[in-house]
Amino acid sequence: MTALARILLVDDEVAIQRAIGPLLRSRGYEVEVAGTGAEALRHLTAAPPDLVVLDLGLPDIEGTEVCRRIRAHSAVPIIVLSARAAESDKVHALDLGADDYVTKPFGPEELLARIRVALRRVDSDASAVTGQLTAGGLTIDYDRHLVVRDGVEIRLTPKEFELLSLLARSHDRVLTHRAILKAIWGGNAVEQPEHLWTLVAQLRKKIEPDPGTPRYLISEPWVGYRFST
Amino acid sequence: MTRDIPDGWRLTAGLTGVAIITWLFAAWLPGANDATVSAAFLMVVLVVAASSRLAIAVATSIAAALSFNYFFLPPVGTLTVAAPENWVALISFLAVSLVAANLSAVARAQTDEATARRDELARLFDLSRDVLVVTDSGAVLPGLARSVARRFDLDYVGLALPRLGEWDVFDAGATTLVLDPAPLAAAFAAAQTTLEFDAYARTYAGHRTLAIDGLVVRLVPLRVGTKPIGLLATAGRAVEAGTLDTLAGLVAIAIERAQFLDERKAAELTRQSEALKTTLLASIGHDLRTPLTAIRVAAANLRMTPLGEAERLEQTTLIETEVERLSRLFQDILEMARLDAGAVLHEVRRAHPSEIVAAAREQAGRALAGHRVEVRIDPDVPVELDPRVTAAALAHLLENAAHYAPAGSTIEVLGGTTDDGVSIAVRDHGPGIQPADLPHLFERFYRGEAAQARASGTGMGLWIARGLLAVEGGRVWAENCADGGARFTISVPDAARVVTSELRRA
Repeated sequence: MTALARILLVDDEVAIQRAIGPLLRSRGYEVEVAGTGAEALRHLTAAPPDLVVLDLGLPDIEGTEVCRRIRAHSAVPIIVLSARAAESDKVHALDLGADDYVTKPFGPEELLARIRVALRRVDSDASAVTGQLTAGGLTIDYDRHLVVRDGVEIRLTPKEFELLSLLARSHDRVLTHRAILKAIWGGNAVEQPEHLWTLVAQLRKKIEPDPGTPRYLISEPWVGYRFST
Repeated sequence: MTRDIPDGWRLTAGLTGVAIITWLFAAWLPGANDATVSAAFLMVVLVVAASSRLAIAVATSIAAALSFNYFFLPPVGTLTVAAPENWVALISFLAVSLVAANLSAVARAQTDEATARRDELARLFDLSRDVLVVTDSGAVLPGLARSVARRFDLDYVGLALPRLGEWDVFDAGATTLVLDPAPLAAAFAAAQTTLEFDAYARTYAGHRTLAIDGLVVRLVPLRVGTKPIGLLATAGRAVEAGTLDTLAGLVAIAIERAQFLDERKAAELTRQSEALKTTLLASIGHDLRTPLTAIRVAAANLRMTPLGEAERLEQTTLIETEVERLSRLFQDILEMARLDAGAVLHEVRRAHPSEIVAAAREQAGRALAGHRVEVRIDPDVPVELDPRVTAAALAHLLENAAHYAPAGSTIEVLGGTTDDGVSIAVRDHGPGIQPADLPHLFERFYRGEAAQARASGTGMGLWIARGLLAVEGGRVWAENCADGGARFTISVPDAARVVTSELRRA
């Protein structure tokens, strides 16, 4: 674990602050708490944290708007807390640059795992100048358009490689259906998710050890996909 | 207008005119030439034609021709004509006078018709205005019948609409009639099967007349487009057939409009209840999730994390508070469901106002922990009411006050027994109520502008308070105090007094 990552917890519910604050502190994180969006943005400029846990239902500014404003000048990982009813808000927040989400009511391990992954990704991003990613037995060489699993080269079509490298470059992070469609097929395709279903199915057949229970290309129902390292 | 003079008088006047001309020329101007005499007679005929019916004008012109022949054309004193050129004079006189009479009668008939049309158009216009200003669909049909009767000066107007084999009749006018269903059904059936346009009468066929109690009742199908939706019955002043058709069309449109208004209202109600369900789910969803998350994480903290004594206490307290919040929420949901189902038990007994206040404070206990509560109940005379329901409503008001007034401020509970029951006010020293929120305060799930910014609160409390009070005939209202803060007042009638006053009235 990174030595004392600083986490900014943004939630207006005192109960959540009181429960999650001690949880994170006990795991060695340094925690700051903000009750409003404005307060969160102030904290962010005064003492930039390593990660933000952001509740979408804030009293003053919409959570998605806070997300957008943070992204305007910072790449800090953002984990969004949301209610299941606010599905569209969640997707919207991810589209605006949030890294991950946890749905209320969640258990502590779920939140801690997401925080660990998000922080690790930041570290690996820092060392990701090699142009290569290795996860499990899978190695992706971005420069040479080469994918090797357990020493055997896998032949991918250009589209398949594009999708795989898109997800892998943002590994452990959810990319929304919309964001993926836009990146690969362009803005006109965002309403045609069937392209994506087909391509993901093809790709899984080639790279997954067991396409029925994916290990790398994880579906996030109703939201998007995640490449798991 | 000259139309009120009876025809007999007009004929007499015409014949008198002829007699006067005859006498004038025979007695005073015996040497006058025939052309002058015939011109004078022609003048009389034209005057009569301009003001009377064709038959009278014709009768006058024949009398004039006979008189001209008898008294002025030689041989005078007989109806024979000697000279052939006098035949020509007599026949051309008769022809000219008949043509003139006819032309004048046609012109007059057209004027009369135009006047009548203008009059009826004005009535139709007034009626259409009556029809269009109606917005409350409930009163449309009786109001419509009244408008038709008033605007067309009819003695009787009935709107008969078929409904499941029966007839709904809405009538108006000075005369009361009972329309027999059988002829109505026959006329309606005919209107459904045939639609002919009678070009001569400028009307769609299907008009019928009935004789009821010696009155002539005219039945006209009410059609929207070509589809008949009912019948219009009129009696009294004769209205031209074409106008009746237009009138029926207007009435039919008005009825359709009323039905649209009803449907729109029903659709609006459905939409509102859908919106209500959505709000309910979203609101309860949020209020369930937050405490559940807090409890789950706090419990895990206690189990898995090494904590100091103070921290353990904090996590335990957190769990208790959130469990309390959840159970309060469930209680609210249950109370709301009971109110919706009309299943709130209502037990009247004698109780002191102070007893109700004490019970309400107990119930709202945790919420009031951060505030000072001052109670002044005077006079504290027992009344007949449901103390449990009243206290529950009051507890919601106390919680509401505690929720919005700053911690540490004072909440005053003032009131006592009044002439007709109990009145208790909860007055806080918080920010008061936004004027825009005042009318909606007691609506279900309504949360004020400022309140929406706060996460807690579901917008159920005040609605429940009002619902509970309504069960026992009481009410609640809110106002801002001149020196800041809000005041909510409940008033519950004394059940004993309600009963006695009702008995007195009976």
